[in-house]
Amino acid sequence: MTLDDMTRTSGEWLRGTGPESDIVMCSRIRLARNLADFPFSNRASRGEKLGVESQVKAAVEAAELDAVYFDVNAMSNLDRQFLVERQIVSSELAGGEGPRGVAVTPKENVSIMVNEEDHLRIQYMLSGFRLPEVWEAIDDLDDRLEENVAYAYSSSLGYLTACPTNVGTGIRVGVMVHLPGIVAGKGIDKVFRALQKINLAVRGLHGEGSQAFGDFYQISNHQTLGKSEEEIIRMLTDVVPQILQFERQARQDLVTGRRQHLHDQVSRAYGVLKTAQTISSEETMLLLSSVRLGINLGLIDDLSIATVNELFIQTQPAFLQKLHGGELGVEERNVARASFLRSRLAEGRGDDE
Amino acid sequence: MTCQRCQDEAVVHLTELVDGRRRERHLCASCAREAGLAPPDSPPDLGLDAVLGALIAKHVGELVGELAESSCPDCRLRYVDFRAGGRLGCPRDYEVFRTGLMPMLLRFHGASRHVGKRARSRPGAADRLRLRARLRQAVAREDYEEAARLRDQLRPKEPHA
Repeated sequence: MTLDDMTRTSGEWLRGTGPESDIVMCSRIRLARNLADFPFSNRASRGEKLGVESQVKAAVEAAELDAVYFDVNAMSNLDRQFLVERQIVSSELAGGEGPRGVAVTPKENVSIMVNEEDHLRIQYMLSGFRLPEVWEAIDDLDDRLEENVAYAYSSSLGYLTACPTNVGTGIRVGVMVHLPGIVAGKGIDKVFRALQKINLAVRGLHGEGSQAFGDFYQISNHQTLGKSEEEIIRMLTDVVPQILQFERQARQDLVTGRRQHLHDQVSRAYGVLKTAQTISSEETMLLLSSVRLGINLGLIDDLSIATVNELFIQTQPAFLQKLHGGELGVEERNVARASFLRSRLAEGRGDDE
Repeated sequence: MTCQRCQDEAVVHLTELVDGRRRERHLCASCAREAGLAPPDSPPDLGLDAVLGALIAKHVGELVGELAESSCPDCRLRYVDFRAGGRLGCPRDYEVFRTGLMPMLLRFHGASRHVGKRARSRPGAADRLRLRARLRQAVAREDYEEAARLRDQLRPKEPHA
């Protein structure tokens, strides 16, 4: 598998299957781990980072994940950005320096970042609302990796991490949710405040500090010490259904109160995406969000959720440039984006035959 | 209100719950100090430096003095550097900076003790971290003989089968 191959496939987590997948795009768990016999990445010499990299690569190989390792240090900026857009690496890893990389499985469920803020950042994603299943899988993966490496761990403080905010379980349990109904009903700030009160974090699609786009939000824990992995997961599995109910109610209100207006908005969004000759990334996200809502409410019936989910990723700048085979300026990207959307959405209609 | 021990003005007021019983204490500054309830005397000469020093100690107490200047023998990170950058340098920092870190952990996580998954016990790992630190220091002072010796010790004894 090469990066170019990946332009023809998409991650399993975009498939739009699994429980509650009309709202929950995917469930994701990340574990922060460090090797016990090396300084953390920010204090490690180049030689030490190479040592970490080779130990982790060997452990990944021994774990028989069928994963491919990409040397992020040797990559072009465009390729790094491509991996960020696909949620395979963080922007911190992409923008970092020195020996670093990522192991990815073909379905892109698993990614193991090496020499990010912590030596290992293990990530597991599945489409839909399936946190216990994700935990079972990543727990097992963590055990298999640990067969061949020694983790930095203390019996009183748990897994030791470069930043004390991750110490303990080193876990971040999150769901990516699509909340166009709540956003339209101006209820999103209320959701934010309620979640903050119970110590859950809400952020945009690309993690820390990023703006929400296309009405997608990530809800996750941020405290990692003093609660077990199962307790943290239970907190999410208890709270997220309430948000889903809130979103469903908001969608219902839109349908009953302003059905014609909503139908018009969704149809126009779909129409623009199918016919535009040049379109910005921001407008695309906004319109795709409307179309996704429209499919879920039965207002659009000739397009699959999976296609729309993929388009959120495939209309990003680096993907379009990879597809083109080189760098494109903003204007050229807007043209390429519109052309790509027209062809993908024409395929969607072909499904009816 | 007057001090319960002498007749000076009380400046420290404390309500304690001992075995479910409420106990109030009102003490003047010097009696409070004797009872271990107040900071030691401030220096008699309250020049500007001293005032500033006292203010800084009050607000960023942990950033001056012993803890701030302490550093990890393995990774050489100083506590002040950690507070500036927010990242620790190696696993051992959690022991070295324990006094500074524990209140921080309690504030952020609302807890100070790990619950959950446990790592396997790997007794040799911390020693290897120490060897690696000595190797780095040997290279820095161009003691290549020592560096070669340490490198040999760090070489894996046998490949993981």
